[in-house]
Amino acid sequence: MSTPVMSLKNVTIQFGGVKALNNVSFDINKQEILGLIGPNGAGKTTVFNVVTGVYQISSGVIDFQGKSLAGVKRYRITRGGIARTFQNIRLWGDMTSLENVVTATDTHKKSGLLSGLFGMPISRREEKRDTTRAQELLDFIGIGEYSDRLAKNLPYGVQRRLEIARALGTNPKLLLLDEPAAGFNPAEKVELANTIRKIRDAGYTVLLIEHDMSLVMQVSDRIVVLDFGEKIAEGTPSEVQEDPRVIEAYLGVQEDAS
Amino acid sequence: MINIRDKGAQVWENSGRTGRVAIATLVIAVVASLPFMGGTILNTPIASYESVLVYPIAMFVLMAIGLNIVIGKSGLLDLGYVAFFAIGAYTMGLLGTKTGLNTWEILPIGIAMSMFAGLVLGVPALKLRGDYLAIITLGFGEIVRIVALNLGALGRSEGIIGIPTPPPVFGIEFSFDSHRIYYWTLLIMILLAIWMVRRLSARRAGRAWESIRQDEDVAELLGVPTFRYKIWAFVLGASVGGAAGVIYASKTLFIAPDNFTLQISILILACVVFGGMGNIWGVILGAVVLGYLPDRIRFLSEARLLVFGLVLVLMMNLRPDGLLPRKKREKAIKAKEAV
Ligand SMILES: Nc1ncnc2c1ncn2[C@@H]1O[C@H](COP(=O)(O)OP(=O)(O)OP(=O)(O)O)[C@@H](O)[C@H]1O
Ligand SMILES: [Mg+2]
Repeated sequence: MSTPVMSLKNVTIQFGGVKALNNVSFDINKQEILGLIGPNGAGKTTVFNVVTGVYQISSGVIDFQGKSLAGVKRYRITRGGIARTFQNIRLWGDMTSLENVVTATDTHKKSGLLSGLFGMPISRREEKRDTTRAQELLDFIGIGEYSDRLAKNLPYGVQRRLEIARALGTNPKLLLLDEPAAGFNPAEKVELANTIRKIRDAGYTVLLIEHDMSLVMQVSDRIVVLDFGEKIAEGTPSEVQEDPRVIEAYLGVQEDAS
Repeated sequence: MINIRDKGAQVWENSGRTGRVAIATLVIAVVASLPFMGGTILNTPIASYESVLVYPIAMFVLMAIGLNIVIGKSGLLDLGYVAFFAIGAYTMGLLGTKTGLNTWEILPIGIAMSMFAGLVLGVPALKLRGDYLAIITLGFGEIVRIVALNLGALGRSEGIIGIPTPPPVFGIEFSFDSHRIYYWTLLIMILLAIWMVRRLSARRAGRAWESIRQDEDVAELLGVPTFRYKIWAFVLGASVGGAAGVIYASKTLFIAPDNFTLQISILILACVVFGGMGNIWGVILGAVVLGYLPDRIRFLSEARLLVFGLVLVLMMNLRPDGLLPRKKREKAIKAKEAV
């Protein structure tokens, strides 16, 4: 067995009296699509926030590629290979789609401010390389024709997809998607499912938060279920679907989940 | 209302290389010949027209371009920008009177000193955001002035007198009343500052600043080393303020703490906001208008600050993004099918 891309071990985080995550452990393996589900307020987004360094965990360990993420600066975590999208879209609205993605690709540039100012060859080379790369990513996600539009003026669905393209711009080893299908119609959801598979097939590892059960069951290789900050189940989609604890957790929110 | 910003950008973008060189040359030629237009409608009634071109106009423009890197590009509210102007000026004053160094030798030292000050202020201050940053920078501006007021070596409230003018360059004399020479010197510095800002804006640094201004947390989470780029913005902004300070001291021959009050910070901030934060042409226009009008219209010069206040309140209500706002134009969606 190869080492997991990331593993959470007994992760706990407390906000005041609330344990948003309580002793949560799970692994995610290379080139896997791992679904992360649970009712509202279960702690799914909090997992993303502790992994990306937005919050420091109260106890436990998060290892990424065998190294602990404790105390690592947020931009270094991203540089190290974890990128995310946001549940409530947070693009840089006054930039074009292309600029949003190019800014993400800057993460791996060797040239900085001074080489840019003096027009050093390395800066020019990297600008060119990453602009091309950014356009490729937009095309890959299927929104290439919007590259020159300001992000804030894009249709909602395109904004959601741009979030994914921007995250891919950082060239992540692990991609965290927070409800990428929220607000999508069924046709768009099918398309997104294909996109997510395509991303995995391109070599990325994906951790997917999604409320839409049929979508998440369809695309995920495995699923982790959270409820009130605790992991209540883990397994293949069919195992999880039959788990009595999962059924119980979702009983009250069946409508939402369908 | 016609959109000057978009029209201008359109003309520029549709011009080829020679067209652009022609436009730039023409604009620079017109701006450079302004000192010869003293006899025209442009003339100022009280202060000498040519001296107004130097101070406030050119000096304001230069400083506004510098402050715009901090406020307009990166969204960092700096209320103590005068500090860097003062540090440049006092570097010139001190070294110019105490050592044999001339203005051109002191210029890089003054710039380095203000950059260093930007670093010293930036490292603690840029860990804070918004209102806190504004208050710290406000305090810094005052501290620099108060230090000058209390330090014997800096002449306390009397300041420094007898600061030398720059030595001749290619036989061109810089006597203190040859305003147009100073104006052209500042013009060259302004062009350099424009070059620097435009260059950086189109590349990694510009994107980093833009992402920080729009959503700093997201920038950090997408791999932008936000702290480093905020420091850069501060330091580069400071360098421009410091350069302006050196030339100012070398022109007025006499500086005192009274020249470096909070009022200057506010005036330059007003130029940036009035012209259009983040848009370098807007900022330049704002500085020209706010620098020139009070000297052109007699009544205004007596109530300069009052009028500034009124203009700002009006602007904020009528045109909150400034005369030439930053908003970018979108190109039409590329017709993919057509390719
Ligand atoms: N910064 C915070 N301060 C206090 N409580 C928080 C904070 N962040 C999250 N919480 C709490 O932690 C719990 C889990 O929140 P989280 O956002 O992770 O849920 P979620 O599973 O993503 O829910 P949803 O499906 O609604 O997005 C909630 O009770 C929430 O109120
Ligand atoms: Mg959530």
